[in-house]
Amino acid sequence: MYSGRFLKGVPLTRYYSLIFSLAISGLKLHYKNSFLGFIWTFLQPLLFLGVLYTVFNSLLGSRILYFPLYLLIGLVLWNSFARSTSSSMMSFVSRRDLLLKVYFPREIIPISTHITTFIMTLFDLCAFGVFVVLFHFVPPWTILYLPILLIILFTLTLGLSFILSVANVYFRDLEHIWGIVLQAGFFLAPIFLSMDIYPPSVRHILVFNPMTLVIDMAHNIVLYNHVPSVGAFGYLTVVSIAILGIGYIIFKKFESKAIEIL
Amino acid sequence: MKEKETEEEEEQHGITRGTDALWNDSRYAIRVQSLHKSFRLYHEKKSTVYEHLVGLFSKNKGYEKLNVLNGISFDVKKGEMMGIIGKNGQGKTTLLQILCGILKPDGGAVKLSGSTVPFLSLGTGFQPDLSAIDNIVMYGLYLGLTKKEIKERIPQVLSYAELERFADTKLKHFSTGMFARLAFATAVQVDPDILLVDEVLSVGDVSFQEKSFETFLSFKKRGKTIVFVTHSLELVKRLCDRAIFIQDGIIQKIGRSQEVVEEFYNFYEIRKNV
Repeated sequence: MYSGRFLKGVPLTRYYSLIFSLAISGLKLHYKNSFLGFIWTFLQPLLFLGVLYTVFNSLLGSRILYFPLYLLIGLVLWNSFARSTSSSMMSFVSRRDLLLKVYFPREIIPISTHITTFIMTLFDLCAFGVFVVLFHFVPPWTILYLPILLIILFTLTLGLSFILSVANVYFRDLEHIWGIVLQAGFFLAPIFLSMDIYPPSVRHILVFNPMTLVIDMAHNIVLYNHVPSVGAFGYLTVVSIAILGIGYIIFKKFESKAIEIL
Repeated sequence: MKEKETEEEEEQHGITRGTDALWNDSRYAIRVQSLHKSFRLYHEKKSTVYEHLVGLFSKNKGYEKLNVLNGISFDVKKGEMMGIIGKNGQGKTTLLQILCGILKPDGGAVKLSGSTVPFLSLGTGFQPDLSAIDNIVMYGLYLGLTKKEIKERIPQVLSYAELERFADTKLKHFSTGMFARLAFATAVQVDPDILLVDEVLSVGDVSFQEKSFETFLSFKKRGKTIVFVTHSLELVKRLCDRAIFIQDGIIQKIGRSQEVVEEFYNFYEIRKNV
């Protein structure tokens, strides 16, 4: 039992500026430490695109329409997921000193890390925009659904980030395990393949993976002028909110114990 | 009357709060009752999935319980400066961490009336790759200031730390002393009712130490409540009204700082002779 003003009656809103300053300083650190800094945002997808494009278009031959953009939007969203979960996972462990010496609501740590990586995703999307122009592609009106999809992605990833940030304190090899999970996910999600190559039975299972659905939906709304079905949208919304809720509950349950064994 | 109450409660374990009127007495800034805290002391610390799986099948629990705090009760009046002394590993920092809300107690109760700022160590969260000003802002935010408040105080901080020339320098180019001065200067910008201080008065050179000492005296003059953990018994005698001597997770002696410091000397004198 504890009562003190710092813990009770101080809403999280008091900490808005801390959350955003942490997020911004994370960004600054990320870009200051690399020689080309911000340019990497454009260079990295370009180089990666080059590799994948060569392999899948020139060597294997892809029958996907607008293949480079297909690849790129999938990569941006998948990277957002991978980057956010893996850096949030390290957020508790790497701030051990701070967490043991200063009190502030612990949620701030994964939330601000998540915001940092999400801002990077927005930069990536700008890079995608540049490629859209370069390829003389005119996006269909369904691209207006993209912000909603991004909010879903944000919610979903934040929930996972909550869980991973405390779980990594208990299981320090989680980062290796998660690396493999991400690798598998990369090949299971329709990033450089089309969902059509799977037999329908497998496809029905795969769409339960929210990331598969997010990326598939992104292809449809950004490139192919398909309005997403209400069912798919509904499923994603429910799943992402559920994951956020469960993630937050798990986080609250284990945060104080995690600090002790940090 | 009050002393008697506290003694009675010390006898019992768990949460014993006396009457609510007494517990909520507005003369006290901090009330702590029969505080218990133990840690698991792992002989082989399980920290990977593999080790946890193996651990499921072995009978050896692999840890023992280390009782750090064994029922600590005390009160600090508003405006009082309380020193906490004791050897290393006797639970002083754990006690402060519980007072700050960083750790949760296993049993017992803590009540703080007023806003609190932990001074548990200086410069935690400082980023070597960011400039002095950026770090002042971040550190201020950690300590609960708003962005506006901390921005207004940047010139004050820099002049207090005597680091005006280095406002835009990255922290990694700072010397240890400059680093500590910047941290201390930022930390004293907060204006809480209760300060919880862990051994931070010994930073910088002699003149800066004197300056930080003066700062704490001014906090005291303004009626702040201060809990002060230190190994410097001279500082306790000079600064504190009362002191607590913690040994083996219980309060060995609580009283006027002069007497407690003497008790501390005596206690270890006796130990040495035996």
